Amino acid sequence: MRISISSNRNRLIGITIIIIFWQVLYVLIKKDIYMPSPLNVIRSFVHITTDKDFFAVISSTTFRVLLSFAISTFIGLLIGLVCGLNKIAYEIFEPVIVLIRSTPVISIIIIALIWFRSDYAPVFTGFLMCFPVIWSNVVHGIKSTDQQLVEMSKIYMVKPIKIIRTVYIPSAKPFIAAGLTTSLGLAWKVIAAAEVLSLPKYGIGSKLHDSKIYLESDKLIAWTLIIIIISYLFELVLMRFLSKQNRSNDNGLEGL
Amino acid sequence: MIKLKKIHKRFEDKVIFEDFSLDIEEHKITCILGPSGIGKTTLLKLISGLSKVDYGIITGLSDKRCSFIFQEPRLIPWLNAYDNINYILESVYTNQKSRDSIIRHHLMMVGLSDDMNSYPDNLSGGMKQRLSIARAFAYPSDILLMDEPFNSLDMNLKLSVMESFKNLWKESNKTVIFITHDIDEAILLSNTLHIFDENPARIVFSKTIAPDIMTRNVNDDSLMRIKTEILQNI
Repeated sequence: MRISISSNRNRLIGITIIIIFWQVLYVLIKKDIYMPSPLNVIRSFVHITTDKDFFAVISSTTFRVLLSFAISTFIGLLIGLVCGLNKIAYEIFEPVIVLIRSTPVISIIIIALIWFRSDYAPVFTGFLMCFPVIWSNVVHGIKSTDQQLVEMSKIYMVKPIKIIRTVYIPSAKPFIAAGLTTSLGLAWKVIAAAEVLSLPKYGIGSKLHDSKIYLESDKLIAWTLIIIIISYLFELVLMRFLSKQNRSNDNGLEGL
Repeated sequence: MIKLKKIHKRFEDKVIFEDFSLDIEEHKITCILGPSGIGKTTLLKLISGLSKVDYGIITGLSDKRCSFIFQEPRLIPWLNAYDNINYILESVYTNQKSRDSIIRHHLMMVGLSDDMNSYPDNLSGGMKQRLSIARAFAYPSDILLMDEPFNSLDMNLKLSVMESFKNLWKESNKTVIFITHDIDEAILLSNTLHIFDENPARIVFSKTIAPDIMTRNVNDDSLMRIKTEILQNI
């Protein structure tokens, strides 16, 4: 409890330092367009969050993030599991992953804009960015499984599906959890960026684009803060869920 | 009878077995004694099917199940003692009740009845190895392969774990192939003893040990004489 109070106090000190530094910069620059004051940003924040379209904007982006995250998780877990267990599948898939990873995000966004409607182009971009992260974590987790336990299971003729459920997946859980947390954070960043270019009717990225066009730096920072807060809240929920899963696992429950 | 006939096995440049033959009597404990790196573990892997012979044949294994006691207990850390045994029995016994009574009986035989809900991390080294022994005997195998299972235990722990093993073996009557480099363990626990040496491996000495395994004492004169004989042949 004492540690929690003291770490919360330290966080508060950190945030206060950032705000003071920000205010000092504002006073030095004296141009709202380059550096809006913290007070103006707070005003814009309140204005944005009380706007009638706010819920539609937030829910549209959140839907895109969750959809791309869900698709990446499902396909990443499935293909990652196969590639972790089978060397040939790994060798076939590895170049595909390297190719996706090496492609600049902007190229993927533009390709997605050609292929999909503006509503779904960010979802496709988010998938291509998150899938390799989940895939590589799952592969790494499966490959790091204690082979002595696998050998023991084979001697006792345990069915392969049971070995996967009881030995491989619990072994890979910490890696999978890290992959999911990283890719959820990544999904928010990538989807907001993709929305800036695809300009769907509702989307935080579209709002960022409008702020840029009208040189409303205070709104730009307010929307950025909104992305940071929502992304952080989602990561927090995911981490709580994963740690609950880990506790269940420690109590002897099998599988994910 | 399990018969290894003129088997050959090599790993890259190293020849482990060349024209190697061995007969293993059923329902007895056969001990393979010898230095490290001679091919003792490879022999167990060939019998269990984890590894294949390059040439030669092994007979007497058809439709026979194997269980294994490893040097390290190889327990699944996120399953408790009960579930570690249940895990390997699920595909053999579909009836939960019969599985339950087998697991409870074997845990009782190794003195772990009160620890069936404990996880491996909460068990001592000796308890872990006793659990691994209970698992091996709970599995309905015909052959039990043991790869230096008492190696990592101190003397007192070793004697208590050996006692658990003897009680379970007497009850099950499995064919046991037991690998060790400890002469006392070999004398206390085997019906037949083979000493391996040289590369490729060959049997340099074999001995049948008559006294009943359940009542053996390492300080008995007859066992002391056997020990001296073994020492002369190593």
